[in-house]
Amino acid sequence: MFGKYDLSMNLQTEEFEIEVTGRGKRRTYRRKANNEEVEKIIYADEGNIVICPVEPVNMPKLGVAEHLMVELKKSVIFEPDIKNTFYVKFPLEIGVFTVDKKDVERIDIFTTVKAKYALYGPPESGIICRWWRSDVYADEPEVNPLKEGILRVDVENKYYEWVELKKVVFRAFDMKIFYNEHAYMHGILTLLQKTTGETSFNTRKPKNMHGSIDIYAAKGIKKFDKKYFMEWGFQ
Amino acid sequence: MNIVATIKETLDYKIAGIKVIEMIEFAVILFIAVIIARIARMAVRRRFKEKVTPTTLNNMEKVVYYGIILIGFFIALPKGVSLSGLLVAGGIAGIVIGFASQTVVSNLISGLFLMVERPVEIGDSIAVGDVSGVVKDIRVLSTTIRTWDGIYVRIPNEKVFSSNIYNYVAHGARRFEYKIGISYSDDASKAVELIKDILAGHPLVLKYPEPQVFVSELGESSVNIVIRMWAPSSHWYSVKTELLWKIKVLLEENGIEIPFPQHVIWMAGEKKEGRGKGKKKK
Repeated sequence: MFGKYDLSMNLQTEEFEIEVTGRGKRRTYRRKANNEEVEKIIYADEGNIVICPVEPVNMPKLGVAEHLMVELKKSVIFEPDIKNTFYVKFPLEIGVFTVDKKDVERIDIFTTVKAKYALYGPPESGIICRWWRSDVYADEPEVNPLKEGILRVDVENKYYEWVELKKVVFRAFDMKIFYNEHAYMHGILTLLQKTTGETSFNTRKPKNMHGSIDIYAAKGIKKFDKKYFMEWGFQ
Repeated sequence: MNIVATIKETLDYKIAGIKVIEMIEFAVILFIAVIIARIARMAVRRRFKEKVTPTTLNNMEKVVYYGIILIGFFIALPKGVSLSGLLVAGGIAGIVIGFASQTVVSNLISGLFLMVERPVEIGDSIAVGDVSGVVKDIRVLSTTIRTWDGIYVRIPNEKVFSSNIYNYVAHGARRFEYKIGISYSDDASKAVELIKDILAGHPLVLKYPEPQVFVSELGESSVNIVIRMWAPSSHWYSVKTELLWKIKVLLEENGIEIPFPQHVIWMAGEKKEGRGKGKKKK
């Protein structure tokens, strides 16, 4: 499903339908998903269409959130100085791009799952996050690749006390998504204190996977700090 | 020949020790500096428009624009003009003008404080005194606001600084509420659950802080339910305008009545046991 397509293409799945029709320089892009239909005109001589997962913070409104909050259905408790790994699911957002040798342009972003936002932190200084609730898995879970991706979370508790984790927040600027049949991210969470921690991403490409197009990296904004500081707790 | 000599004589003529030709050179260089500054400002806007916040972009533009003009000014200064003398003269003139125009100085200082304290930024939705709208620019002497109905309002910075400022988008989220009355004969618990469901289904009603829906009051004509919810500050108004009607429609679809204010009047001589089933007269 994800990957590179010719300028004339048609993709039909259970959840959505994408097609680019037309001849010559003028093409018509159509997408149907969630009872919503989007149609755009593309003027292009050559190039390709790329469909890939994107940072899951763009829907339903662009610009509202730049962080993803994953709330865990069951709390996870870490003993001091432990390193461990668990898996969660994250909401899939699909990006459609036109690419040529020089540039990449976003045509469309959509999702097939219900979106919700939440505030992380107090109202006066907290941040709006795209909210998602997931079970916690010891191994890579089965996912519906049209709706969810897999997020591996490597946790290290550097604090000298036990720390209980109920949610984890990641910044879109740090995200690096990979895909094959499904979307995949590899997050890192370092527990610094009882209520503070840092999240970041392992950007090394796993075997047999492709790197997605990063919307936030494409914005040209470089964050000097590659880690997000979770200062308002894990509960 | 005479004309050339006259022009040369005019250009060499000195006013306050500075030749006319030097003054013209000064004006031309300054004019060129202004043009370059405008081009540079436009280049900065094009380059950074989507990469920094409006306030940062505005400040960057001002630094570039006035920086180039200042450099042009110093390059253009005639050789005979002493910079220290100019600064002293400027300082004295500044004091004189300052005393003469205290309001301007007050606005200037207030403007500087506003830029440092930054209670508002360009693009923020605010209310200052009786003016509310979107901040379009924060200048040294004044702040400009586009009101909700599209009117340009310039407010002196002194007034902005000394007024209560309501910034509706300074925080990421804000709360708002509705109060809805339902009939005494309807099931309030069912109404509360229905309203909670509709809030849960709306993407822009925040999951956390959780919405609150509860019976707040047993009113004269209705059981009043308060609905409180948080939404992103940038979108709260669209959520507020959208949800109220949806709640009303949902309640009615589920047989829950939103009653008009009413009084039940019992006429003398009507049977006591008939109460509650008698004819209502409004």
